[in-house]
Amino acid sequence: MRTLVALLFATSVFAQSTIPNSPGVKASVAIRNATIVPVTSAPIANGTIVFANGVITAIGTNVAIPAGATVIDGTGLSVYPGMIDSGSNAGLTEVDSVAGTVDTAELGDFNPNARAAVAVNPHSELVPVTRVAGVTHVVSTPEGGIISGQSALIQLAGWTPEQMVVKSPTALHIRFPRLRSGSPFGPPPDEEQEKEAKKTYTKEIENLRDLLRDAQAYGKASAARAGSKSVQRFDRDLVLEALVPFVEGREPVILHANLARDITAALKFADEMKLKVILSGAQDVGRVLSEVKSRNIPVILGPILALPSREDDPYDLLFSNAKTLHDNGIRFAIQTSDAHNTRNLPYHAGSCAAFGLPKDVALKAITIYPAEIFGVADRLGSLEVGKQASLIVTDGDPLELRTNIKRVYIAGEEIPMDSRHTLLYEKFKRRP
Amino acid sequence: MRLRRFVALLVLLCPVLLRADAPGVYAITGGTVHPVSGPEIANGTVVIRDGLIEAVGANVTIPPDATTIDVKGAHVYPGLIDAQTSAGFAAAPSRRGGGGGGGGGGSSERPPEPTPDSLAVRNVKLTDDLMNDGRSIGVTTILTAPSNGIFNGQSVLLNLGTGSLESRVIKSPAAMQIAFNPRPTWTYPDSLMGVIAYLRQSFFDAQRHGAAREIYARTPAGLQRPEDNPALDALQPVLRRELPVVFIADSELMMRRVQTLAKELNVRYIISSARQGYALAPELKNAPVLVSVKWPTAPADKEDREDQPIRVIRDRRMAPTTPAALAKNGVLFALVSGPGKAGDLMPGVRKAIESGLSADDALRALTINPARIFGVERQLGSLERGKIANVVVSDKPIFEKEAKVNRIFVDGREIRLPADDKKPGATPASPIDGTWSLTVSAPQGNVSIQVTLKAEDGKLTGTYSGDRGSGDIRSGTFDGSAFEFAISATAQSEAETTDWVFNGTLDGTSMKGSVATTLGKFEFSGSKSE
Amino acid sequence: MKKIIALALAFSFSALAQERVTLIRNATILTITKGTIENGSVLIRGAKIAAVGKDIAAPAGARVIDGTGKFVMPGIIDTHSHTGVEGSVNEISLPNTGMVRIGDVLDGSDISAYRQLAGGTTAALILHGSANAIGGQSQIVKWKWGRPVSEWPVAGAPRTIKFALGENPKSANFRPPEGTARQYPQTRMGVEEVIRKSFTDARDYMAAWDEYEAKRKRGETAIPPRKDILMDTMADILRGNIDVHAHCYRSDEIMMLLNLADEMGFKIRELQHVLEGYKVAPEIAKHGAGGGTFIDWWGYKAEAYDATPYNVALMVRNGVLTSINSDSDELARHLNHDAAKAMKYGGLTEEEALRVCTINPAKQLRLDNSIGSIEVGKDADLAIWNGHPLSIYSHVDTTFIEGDVYFDREEDLKRREAMRKEKEELLKKEEEESKKAKAGDKKEKTK
Repeated sequence: MRTLVALLFATSVFAQSTIPNSPGVKASVAIRNATIVPVTSAPIANGTIVFANGVITAIGTNVAIPAGATVIDGTGLSVYPGMIDSGSNAGLTEVDSVAGTVDTAELGDFNPNARAAVAVNPHSELVPVTRVAGVTHVVSTPEGGIISGQSALIQLAGWTPEQMVVKSPTALHIRFPRLRSGSPFGPPPDEEQEKEAKKTYTKEIENLRDLLRDAQAYGKASAARAGSKSVQRFDRDLVLEALVPFVEGREPVILHANLARDITAALKFADEMKLKVILSGAQDVGRVLSEVKSRNIPVILGPILALPSREDDPYDLLFSNAKTLHDNGIRFAIQTSDAHNTRNLPYHAGSCAAFGLPKDVALKAITIYPAEIFGVADRLGSLEVGKQASLIVTDGDPLELRTNIKRVYIAGEEIPMDSRHTLLYEKFKRRP
Repeated sequence: MRLRRFVALLVLLCPVLLRADAPGVYAITGGTVHPVSGPEIANGTVVIRDGLIEAVGANVTIPPDATTIDVKGAHVYPGLIDAQTSAGFAAAPSRRGGGGGGGGGGSSERPPEPTPDSLAVRNVKLTDDLMNDGRSIGVTTILTAPSNGIFNGQSVLLNLGTGSLESRVIKSPAAMQIAFNPRPTWTYPDSLMGVIAYLRQSFFDAQRHGAAREIYARTPAGLQRPEDNPALDALQPVLRRELPVVFIADSELMMRRVQTLAKELNVRYIISSARQGYALAPELKNAPVLVSVKWPTAPADKEDREDQPIRVIRDRRMAPTTPAALAKNGVLFALVSGPGKAGDLMPGVRKAIESGLSADDALRALTINPARIFGVERQLGSLERGKIANVVVSDKPIFEKEAKVNRIFVDGREIRLPADDKKPGATPASPIDGTWSLTVSAPQGNVSIQVTLKAEDGKLTGTYSGDRGSGDIRSGTFDGSAFEFAISATAQSEAETTDWVFNGTLDGTSMKGSVATTLGKFEFSGSKSE
Repeated sequence: MKKIIALALAFSFSALAQERVTLIRNATILTITKGTIENGSVLIRGAKIAAVGKDIAAPAGARVIDGTGKFVMPGIIDTHSHTGVEGSVNEISLPNTGMVRIGDVLDGSDISAYRQLAGGTTAALILHGSANAIGGQSQIVKWKWGRPVSEWPVAGAPRTIKFALGENPKSANFRPPEGTARQYPQTRMGVEEVIRKSFTDARDYMAAWDEYEAKRKRGETAIPPRKDILMDTMADILRGNIDVHAHCYRSDEIMMLLNLADEMGFKIRELQHVLEGYKVAPEIAKHGAGGGTFIDWWGYKAEAYDATPYNVALMVRNGVLTSINSDSDELARHLNHDAAKAMKYGGLTEEEALRVCTINPAKQLRLDNSIGSIEVGKDADLAIWNGHPLSIYSHVDTTFIEGDVYFDREEDLKRREAMRKEKEELLKKEEEESKKAKAGDKKEKTK
């Protein structure tokens, strides 16, 4: 098997990963005598987990193993839910400097109809690289402009984009205009520059507001037309159409803002437009806690392994935001915002635990919390009977740096533990 | 009869004599005299003869041929010296962001980079307006050089008097000027470390050039002759430590680098700008310092201020204490406008005084200190017999906020100051002043040109930019409604320029007329942008 | 009498300054070179480590730090940094800019230096950027935050210079602005030529100077050749007086440089990034170059597409002196993560993993006599961690350089409120003064 794989690999070209995808078999499997960590309930030592047809059927210490099931000895191993990255370009890019392989940001300020779901590449090398590290699901997120587009929650297994997409749209992404007339490190802007910056900022927000209002009107008119043919026909506008579910508050909008004044402005704007909001980035969330809490807004923190934007910001600001939110009862999840290293998601979460966040909460921030925030907690995010069998088998705590992922299952199918990296390793390990 | 004809002939042949203020002998009396070289003299007298000071004191006999000027209640000072400006040179384009970034715009916007052999005295263009900016605050002498480039050339120290430029020069060259401006990206050196390496290499090259010349002059036979190199020639006096170098350095880091570099290159040097001097005042004794009083300002927006690092905010509050700190530590320093304008000088000096500098030290820093720093202390910097008669009369002590300069003498001649209600640099606005968007209806299509105009006394000046290149307008006139000006239009496909002459009339915020070009006459119209 | 008092005072002050003593007691000491000591202690006297072991008594006057439950590790050494540079990190304009020096433009106010101390990193090689085949001279420093930056360079450290191969020096991913011509080289062939020509020119330069010196000895009149800083630098590389740390990616360019260096008669000190180092690890080991790389970054450029996190393990297994470095202000704060990942990706032992961020980079910088491990006589450059440094859950409590504390988490936490208050007061004062001044101006105008 390995030689075959190696041969196939020898002819690789960008992003035509020849690593086999899911075998299409949703076998019946029982992992026995392992530490089962459901996340939503206490860990079970010497436990067994059984799944078949892609769904978890039993968890416990004294569990019946169905006939014909593949039995895996889990001695010394642990079973966790697959990890979920709440925001990364994985699937939308291959080599950053090769424009032909990059589909993360469309041109222009307003692209609500740009959908990640149609552009994710199931055969990207990033897919195996990420999943063998235990991250099974990613909210693949477009970027750029002010309205970047619609993200898609994808599983990292599937022969076509449709097979990968778990939920699309996951959210509409708005990168709220930033009022910044100079760099916080550079020379202070002169009056001219400040005026210019304010003008641009005001214009951008006006344009955004106008567009969303137009979408509301369009939505109203469409509904009326759908209800009665006597309402006058009008040509379709795909941009406005794409916005309708979001401006009508039915689907969430993720507002990306980091500095306190931008977050405040963004939340006010969301109030005005009656949007269902999730906040993303939020470096300064500690300064706007009441604003976030009073609106019951979930927050996606991350990247955690990044630098604070101001010279005077505490060195551990980004590491300790998670603890701040947890202490204040605000729901949150963690993202890497790093396509090639979505696999480091557990270390972003673990770094929060190094600065005060309880370890079990750090684990939740990359499993059940994102599942809840994105409305897929009925299927993902924890090990519970009836949920999807998307899980990982490890030789320890997956948030720890030295832990190895031994097995990965996505929707009940076993994933080969090969990636471009492991194959290159094997090849050159054998160099005479 | 003969004598009369002789005098008439003299009068015809010597227009200069006619123009001279006759007779050139004045006694300024009744004011409080601040000689700087000694204690202040209440009710003192200063006698000026033929451009020089003849006498200063409390009980000075007024010569019979003197015109007496009574300045009772006022204060009499030596003319102030602003020892570091770039007055009369085009401003360098502003650099946004850190060093090493590309400079803006095309070559038409950048003034040409000076070289070590560029002489400020040859290239400076001082207009009356510019000089009045200085005179109206009591400045009679300035040092000026371009501010762009790495070698800014050799600066000139000159009086802001009347007469030809040559007659006003006090010292040229005053110093070799060096700034640490990286060149645009992709031109060596485009980084700060590149600039330092470039300076090192330039000095090595200058040393070699001097040595090569010397050796060749002694025994040319058998040797390759050295190339002609005016730039390296110009560095020889610097190597011999005869001509000092003014290094432009503002931050503590940069000042320390200058100290290290100057030691390495073994040059006499002066540091200019120096607004972080407070951070290393005791260590600045080795060389004179010119402190720019254009203190750092805070951003207008409150949140921008809060986002600034505390380091920047602290620095902003400490910078104006630099002069006091230097005075305390016995550093020889002058106060200069530096990168600021003349109008920044007095408010900046006042701020320094508020921050701990004594008024006496401030006065010295604008008179005898800069004179000493540039080696002209025997001619300028105080009211003493024999020195050049640059005298300033101010209605109150000169550093007080409401003080006004009433009279000013340069080289012993009184200069009439602009009228009372005119602020330095301000002139009453003309209806044509401002920026206009013009559209020329040319057969090949519309041509867009922006012009920014300013009218004064019938003359029209300004700049143009747009579809036909950019630059200064020429031969502009405006009579209140009709105007004319010319630009050097650059045709799209050619490197040549041709004259386009605009003739038009003004009507409120719009204008129209015709443009004469080598291809014919076309209509144009325009409206005011702001 | 006065003289005696003065002498006595002088003696006691100098004694105090030298004898600043700290004892870290009852911690797990990761010495790196001499194993791990449980319930161990480290005694620091002045700038040096005075004792390491179990049960060290605290000398009188020593500051005692209770290390129970803590781990002590040498300060991490980062061989690829661009922190603390004023102005551009690249002199882009020419293919060979070996005459410029990072050491001329150090900036001690870069907050990134402090943030790295907070992650246990104490020393670094600050490099020129990778825009040129031969870049400027680099600078080895310790992050002595708060001290004048003139004290940051490490005394006695070797001179170093930057080379860069592959996409960056051939400007593959950036274009000059409109109106500026593209510059040679534009291929890997050209990159080789630039390096080869520079050394060839350097040999000619050295020969011309030798001839001149010979002429002078013979008493002949001669005009000296031009003293050229760039050629002096190249000559110093040939003489072995400057270490080359070379940015490289692809295996073919790695081979090119090793072969070229061998041909020119010098050794490459360290290959950096060297993401395809694993493909030619035996050759790198044979040449004697070290390798400094990062675990995670791949796929950002075409030449990084074959990068794998197993690079470190494969190079180590083939006998290459391997370190991990950051090339990032951010990663430099948690290089312990990368060291730990080297265990996961390729099975390095814990000892090997700890070495790649401490003694190995110290050796690459020829400073292993003074830093990189906790041994008596070495500089007291170390960090106290609240857990094992190779665990994600650990953070640094205190960082020492030469016996002085340069980062302490508790102090940092305490300072925040004071700083916030000070800033608020300064801004308030400023606003009041500005209001007063504006009111004053208004009065002026209405007079």
